[in-house]
Order: sequence, then structure tokens, then C-alpha cells
Amino acid sequence: MTNQNNSLSHIFRVNKDIPAMPFIACGAALLLVGLIGVIRVLVYGQEAVYGVTRQVPWGLLIATYAYFVITSTGLAFIGGLGHAFNVQPFARIGKRIVLLAFIILLAGFTQIGMEIGHPFRLMYLFILSPNFSAPIVWMGIFYGIELFLLSIELYLIFVKSPKNHALSAATAFLTLMVGVAATSNLGFVFGSLTARPFYHGIYFPTFLVVSGIAGGCAILLLIHNIIYRFNIPDELSRTMSGLSKLMGLCIGAMLFLSAWKIISSLYTAPAEAYEAATALLSGPLAINFWCGEIIFALLLPLAMLLMSRGKNFMIMGAAGLFFMIGMFFTRYDFIVAGQLHPMRAGNAGSHVDVLNGLVHYAPSSGEWMIFALGLGLFFFFYFLAERFIALEPE
Amino acid sequence: MKRKRYAIVFDTKKCLNCKACTVACKFENYVPVGDDSYRLWVTEMPLEGRFPVLRQEFRPSQCQHCENAPCEKVCPTGATFRTAEGVVLIDYDKCILCKACMAACPYDARFVSKKHDAVEKCTFCMHRVSEGREPACVETCPVRVREFGDLNDPDSTVSRLLNQRAYYQLKPEKNTRPRLFYLK
Ligand code: SF4
Ligand code: SF4
Ligand code: SF4
Repeated sequence: MTNQNNSLSHIFRVNKDIPAMPFIACGAALLLVGLIGVIRVLVYGQEAVYGVTRQVPWGLLIATYAYFVITSTGLAFIGGLGHAFNVQPFARIGKRIVLLAFIILLAGFTQIGMEIGHPFRLMYLFILSPNFSAPIVWMGIFYGIELFLLSIELYLIFVKSPKNHALSAATAFLTLMVGVAATSNLGFVFGSLTARPFYHGIYFPTFLVVSGIAGGCAILLLIHNIIYRFNIPDELSRTMSGLSKLMGLCIGAMLFLSAWKIISSLYTAPAEAYEAATALLSGPLAINFWCGEIIFALLLPLAMLLMSRGKNFMIMGAAGLFFMIGMFFTRYDFIVAGQLHPMRAGNAGSHVDVLNGLVHYAPSSGEWMIFALGLGLFFFFYFLAERFIALEPE
Repeated sequence: MKRKRYAIVFDTKKCLNCKACTVACKFENYVPVGDDSYRLWVTEMPLEGRFPVLRQEFRPSQCQHCENAPCEKVCPTGATFRTAEGVVLIDYDKCILCKACMAACPYDARFVSKKHDAVEKCTFCMHRVSEGREPACVETCPVRVREFGDLNDPDSTVSRLLNQRAYYQLKPEKNTRPRLFYLK
């Protein structure tokens, strides 16, 4: 009994120094908004509440799903570097990494659960009648395994005592590998669509993996700044500078990949990919692209990371915040841009409404409310854990 | 006996744009009302020629019943499947409404159906064909723009038309191998 009490006090404690309450309150408010959104969908149906159309069937919720789950696998990648490849600065913050990855993955599941019309049907049909040639089935398999592995990691980190390092390392390695498979396969969920040439090729799977790792670094830099009230102790300096270097490297790779994607989509104007690229550069998604992606996701965080010189943690945290905002646009823009080219000309009788040769999509209030559900789940449960669970570096 | 390979051949030059086929399809298949809710459409192609000698083609279309069907490949539950005759159908009870098939279809032939609470599209009116009747859009057309039949039967109207006349298919570059043929 005393032993049990000891182990419980080892896990649970009230962390008064951490400014968690505003975030818990904010999370609760977002959850409430999200629940109203869920009720609207249940009462009126997805057709009435969501803004997706016949021509643009995948909208905001697919983007936010990708936003969450890929941040989670990016975190799992960093955790894997720490525990499986013994990168000590990352291993030290292993508890936070695994918990963040777990909660963010759940936040992602709320998005796909509300996006799919029959989520309960999905659960048994993926077992009874899977079509293994469909990338979505592999998405389900990989992310299902990822959730299971993260649960095991949570158990090994928080509950299991004495620690079994070999088992921890093996689980972290598997989580890293499955995470990379899941993320790149998610890129292929888009790449497998015959109708959408902008999605084809190696760009999106690679970009998602790399930007996911950058996202993992960004959220860790940001969260640590919040937890330590912008006064991160020096003992974490190697961790923070390691994260900022990895993040800078990944942003560099994202710039490289994006530049070539855009150039190859413009050169010789390949059918349909060209329209998607111009929708980003000068069309309906231009503000998102230039402000959200180029400035917030790429240039600003990269410049700030360089400015921080691996020492100024506050600037790193700000870079993390900007990147997390910008990364949302990288997901949303790419997914929407690839669907804006209509499948037939918008002539009379075709039932296709086009403006400047493109169909239109704008997320509805209902879709934003479901995004609030995912964000709320993250803020509420993560900061609740920060408040009541011992997550300090080892 | 050879297995049937169903197809539709269109002679669009005959089309009057009367839209009888769209109405017939709606009634035959109880397709719900709504902007996005239709199984077939008749596109008014751009005017051709010079005034006063002008021409305009009306091009009806619907699901192409692709032999290499992108929608079938990406369907995670096998809800979308091809019959032995090559007709692409949907098992509504298996559809999880992931909409991957809608995103994958190069012909924008699919939509979310309020009636079935699943994705819906042209079925080649298989419920009629199995009774020996023609699809509703074929039968109702006052000028017989569409002919429906078996490509494996050399004496069928569709086979004869394709033997005698030049034809084209929509988006051949997508390698979907449609079962819809348009006479030139
Ligand atoms: S036209 Fe579209 S829905 Fe019909 S078989 Fe081809 S890909 Fe599938
Ligand atoms: S929406 Fe239905 S028919 Fe289409 S791919 Fe998903 S499960 Fe298959
Ligand atoms: S074959 Fe039947 S389902 Fe298909 S378009 Fe014609 S009437 Fe509609």
C-alpha cells in the first residue's frame, strides 16, 4: 500500500509553478464550442453544417486532422531520437514528448471522427472488410498502431518501475518508424487520387514527414517557454538548442521541397497542377500562402532561430509559435489547392460553378467549431496533465 | 457464353438538350433534390463556327464505369466495387463516407446522397438491366443519343456503332479506360 502510494506520488503532484490554469480554461471553452459543433452535426447532419462540396470533398477537417496527427508523429520522431538513438538532450524531456504526442494524436482523431460520415461503421468494416489497396486502410492501421505504441510508452515512462531501458528503446524506435510510415502514407492518401495531379509524386509524403518533425520541435520549444514562464533553466539549454537546430534544418528542407514543388508545377504548365500552384501564388489562396506559409511557417521562424543563436530561448519559443500557426496553412493550402481545379469546364448544364477557372471552398462555422474541439482537447488535457502530473526533465 | 461487358455509346450530335434523361434518372433512382445531387449532367459545349453558321454540341455524361477505376482502388471498405460485367457499383451499407472516391474520380461523377446516407452515382440502372430493360436515361431519350449494350456481343448496337464510326473517350490521359464512348 505504501509502495503504491509512493509510486502514485511519483506520478501525480500539483505543480503550482506552472501557469496551466489559463490554458485549461481556454481548453474548456474551446471544448464547449466544439461540443456545440458536434451537436449541430448530430442534429442537422454534415451536409448542412460543413462547407465541403461535391467538387471539394476534403476541406478544413482533413487539414486539421493532418495538422494534429503529423505533429504527433513528429514528436514521436524526436522522442525516438532520444530514447532509441540515445540523443540525451531529447531523452531528458521524454515524458513531455510522449504525453504531448499521445494527446495531440487523440485531438487528430476527433477531427477525422467528425469528418467521416460513419465513424462507427469504419471501426468494424476496417476489420471485417478492409481493402488493402486503399491507402486509407493503411492510414488506419499505422495510426492505430501508433496510438497503441504511445500508450505502451506512457506506461513504461510513468508506471513501470524499475525502468526497462531496452524495452523503452525498442518501443521508441518502433514508434518513430511507424510514425514515419503513417505520415508518409498520409501523403499518399492524397497522392493516390488519380483526379488530382498536384498531389502526385514524392513531395507531399516527404514534406509531411519533415514538417511534422519541425512541428514537434516547434511545439516543444513553445511549451517549455510557457511551462517555465519564458525563463527556461540552463540545464535545458542543450535540449532547447538541439530542438532549434533540428527545427531549423527541417524548415530549410521544407523551403527546398516547396520551391521545387512550385517550380515543377509552373514549368511547362502541367495540366491541373499548374492551376493549383497559381491558386497558391496569385489565386484565392495567395494570402494564406504568402503570409501563412512563406512568412509564418518558413521565413519568420527560420530568421528567429538564426537570431536566437541557440541561446535565446524566448525567441525560440516565439519561432515555435509562429511555426505552429504557419504549419496549419501548409496543410490547409495544399489540400484545398489540389482540389480547386474543376473536373469539367463550368459551362451551362455542367453543374460546376467556377470563378477564374477554379471551384470555390470556404470552411463553414461548423467546421471551425470541430477544429475548436481538437484544439480544446489538446489544451484542456495537456495542461491538466502539466498541472497534476510530474513531467519534469530526467 | 461470354461474360457481358456493358457500355454506353453516345451520339452527342443528336442531343437536343431537352434534359429528359436527367429527369428520368432522378425519378427512376429517387435521386434527392439539391445542387450537388445528380447522377448525370448535360454540358453545353462552347459555340463553334462563325456567325451566322454556328454549331453547338450538348454533351451528356455520367459515371464512366472505368475499367481501371480510381474510385474503387481508394475505397477503404470495398463499398465501391466492379461487377463481373464491369459496372462500378456502391454497397451503401459499407460506405463510411470518407469521400476518398469523390476526390479520386476524374469525372466528378459522385456525390453524398441524403437518401442512402452514403456516396451515390450512376449504376447503369442495374435494377432495370437485370430485368432485361434499358437504363432509364437510354430509354427515355427522344432521339436515342445513348445506346446501351454488351461490347462482347459483336451484333449489339454498341459494338456495331464502335466498329463503324470513329469515337473518343473523356480524359484518356487518366488511363481509366471508361465504358462510355462518344461518337465523333
Ligand atoms: S467515373 Fe468516377 S465514379 Fe465512375 S468508375 Fe470512373 S472513377 Fe469511379
Ligand atoms: S465514401 Fe464510401 S464509397 Fe467512397 S471511398 Fe469512402 S467508403 Fe468507399
Ligand atoms: S444509367 Fe440509370 S443511373 Fe445511370 S445516368 Fe442513366 S438513368 Fe441514371
